[in-house]
Amino acid sequence: MAETLQRNNTDQLTRFSTLFAQTEQSLNGHSTDATRSIRSRSMEVLEKTDFPNRRSEDWKYTSVAPLLAPEWVLPSGSQTAPRAQAPGTGITIHFQNGILDRANSDLDTLPEGLLICSIEEALEMETERDRVIKFLEQEIVTPENAFIPLNGAFARQGIYLRLKKGVRLSSDIHFVHSNESTGAPLLISPQLVGIIESNAEMRITETFQGFGGTYLTNILNRFEVGANSHFEHYKFQLESPAAFQVNNTKAYIHRDSTFSNYNLELGGALVRNNVVTIMLDSGITSNLYGAFLGIDRQHLDTQTFIDHAFPHCQSNELYKGILTDRAHGVFNGKVIVRQDAQKTNAYQQNSNLVLSPTAVMDTKPQLEIFADDVRCSHGATIGQLDENSVFYLKSRGIPDAEARRLLQLAFLQEVLDNIEVEYLHEYASDLLIAKFEKASA
Amino acid sequence: MLEIKDLHVSIEDKEILRGINLQVNPGEVHAIMGPNGSGKSTLASVLAGREEYEVTSGSILYNGQDLLEMDVDKRAHAGLFLAFQYPVEIPGVSTATFLKSSVNAVRKGRGLEELKPVDMLKLLRQKAAELEIDPKFLQRSLNEGFSGGEKKRNEMLQMSLLEPSLGILDETDSGLDIDALKIVADAVNKLRSPERSFIVVTHYQRLLDYIVPDFVHVLSQGRIVRSGDKSLAFELEERGYDWVREKA
Ligand SMILES: Nc1ncnc2c1ncn2[C@@H]1O[C@H](COP(=O)(O)OP(=O)(O)OP(=O)(O)O)[C@@H](O)[C@H]1O
Ligand SMILES: [Mg+2]
Repeated sequence: MAETLQRNNTDQLTRFSTLFAQTEQSLNGHSTDATRSIRSRSMEVLEKTDFPNRRSEDWKYTSVAPLLAPEWVLPSGSQTAPRAQAPGTGITIHFQNGILDRANSDLDTLPEGLLICSIEEALEMETERDRVIKFLEQEIVTPENAFIPLNGAFARQGIYLRLKKGVRLSSDIHFVHSNESTGAPLLISPQLVGIIESNAEMRITETFQGFGGTYLTNILNRFEVGANSHFEHYKFQLESPAAFQVNNTKAYIHRDSTFSNYNLELGGALVRNNVVTIMLDSGITSNLYGAFLGIDRQHLDTQTFIDHAFPHCQSNELYKGILTDRAHGVFNGKVIVRQDAQKTNAYQQNSNLVLSPTAVMDTKPQLEIFADDVRCSHGATIGQLDENSVFYLKSRGIPDAEARRLLQLAFLQEVLDNIEVEYLHEYASDLLIAKFEKASA
Repeated sequence: MLEIKDLHVSIEDKEILRGINLQVNPGEVHAIMGPNGSGKSTLASVLAGREEYEVTSGSILYNGQDLLEMDVDKRAHAGLFLAFQYPVEIPGVSTATFLKSSVNAVRKGRGLEELKPVDMLKLLRQKAAELEIDPKFLQRSLNEGFSGGEKKRNEMLQMSLLEPSLGILDETDSGLDIDALKIVADAVNKLRSPERSFIVVTHYQRLLDYIVPDFVHVLSQGRIVRSGDKSLAFELEERGYDWVREKA
């Protein structure tokens, strides 16, 4: 098994190298030196990095073999996939298979203090270039996993976003990804570098909507949240049933800031999330919320890492999942409270419902505390629906299937109730209800 | 309306009901009293359709149908309602959502149109007001963090919304103060009609001042050991259950 994977690994690496060489050649100068240099650098790192295997603790329950088997090709710039809708009004940026759809995006009407452009453009800007290089290299050079340099090597038209200090954005920003493969399996590589300067406030959503076919959305998000700022980040994952997604999202958070991350995982055949928050100072709050609903043979894996290195910070984490049919859920929540991180409050809870005997949930809360004056708690549960509750609802005339659906929705609703913005709360609820209807169909 | 014949019920091989006979005719109110653990809630649960209780012998006819063959939700559609002794708390399901689902499911089961949202809202408001329930209450999760009295009132709210033909109240009066008790009794009395029947399980004669029963039965160790009219309740209150047991 391990040997096969090793071979796959090497085979795939060769294929990635070939694909890379072909792509670079076909670009034939239609690409700036700076972006080419980042891509080459990424490819070099990728060639030296093994794809994770199940012997590694963080990948114990998720085999990446299905991601290494296909002969990936890159999306062409001329996709005509249907366009997904944003969750609400605001500043909307559309992507087709990871490629920026300028014509349908609000790039020309951005409010004062907000810059959104392609990374390629940012690299041409005197004021931004160094930061972009530094931030991307920081992730790519010593990557947490091979998917990060893979993203770096193949990302085209990544996005750069900067919100100036003191700006409170009154419109939300929606990144809407419409993904579809009608032929060969596509490797889609969205990349987002976001800087929220000090005393600023911003909310962004990312929607990944699949329209069919086999593809891999390999995401790299890297956020810098300046001092005393508020940043909310939502991900609504609705990939196609045969699609894969790997999401590496990392936030570096500065003093007195709040970072809130919301994850709704509904689509995809195999999905792996890595959400990492690095707290760089005191007074920081990190909130990580996630809800997932796996049906059929879906494999939904979330790994979170919260690093408490300074005193007086807080982290709240709630992930809830429902698995049915032959679905497999994984949650690994790592929290480190380092020696200097006194007066830390860290709460983590992962609760799951496993509704069929062939569904599986693996959950592993991992709390490592090296400071002594802290308040930390964590818990993980795996259970079934409460039959007393089912009975109560049925005794009021509600049919069995509807009673169960109501209770399942209520179970995940606890996560959604942390979404304070009404339209997003409603959007998330509607997505959940739609998926429940699909599940029982 | 309801005909229970020689009903034997066990749980985990322990026989709890040991030959119950009870006939409830349309319009009648039957009170069931009896010491703790005598099987009152077990009887109510079997009527409502709880599956962990095993009916080892006997029969229950409800409006001429074999009740034991009916699904739990179908029993509600057919007009059976149990106000639980201990209603469950269901976090995440708002009381309003639950009530709407319930009313529409029962209406559908009875061949009626679902209510339009405005009419539903009006109905909920009106019935809640009758039970002196603050409408804000309806936004809270079902029974979650409700006081004992609030839970009981919520059960009565459900009963008045679903307009059952047989209402079973399992100790709905326990723990209520006299004002709350009157509200509960009012809800029952409003529904009383020549077609509608009630089985009222209680430990306290006091309730029967407000909901006047046609019959009083004493359940002891899984059997009805004595039946009479409302005066039996007074006698019980005075002399206690030992007196019945001795006479039985
Ligand atoms: N789920 C159960 N599992 C095991 N035993 C049970 C269960 N439910 C009831 N019993 C037993 O059955 C007997 C009758 O219980 P039941 O609740 O019907 O009594 P009751 O008359 O309603 O009492 P109370 O006045 O206290 O409400 C008791 O001995 C009780 O312990
Ligand atoms: Mg009882």
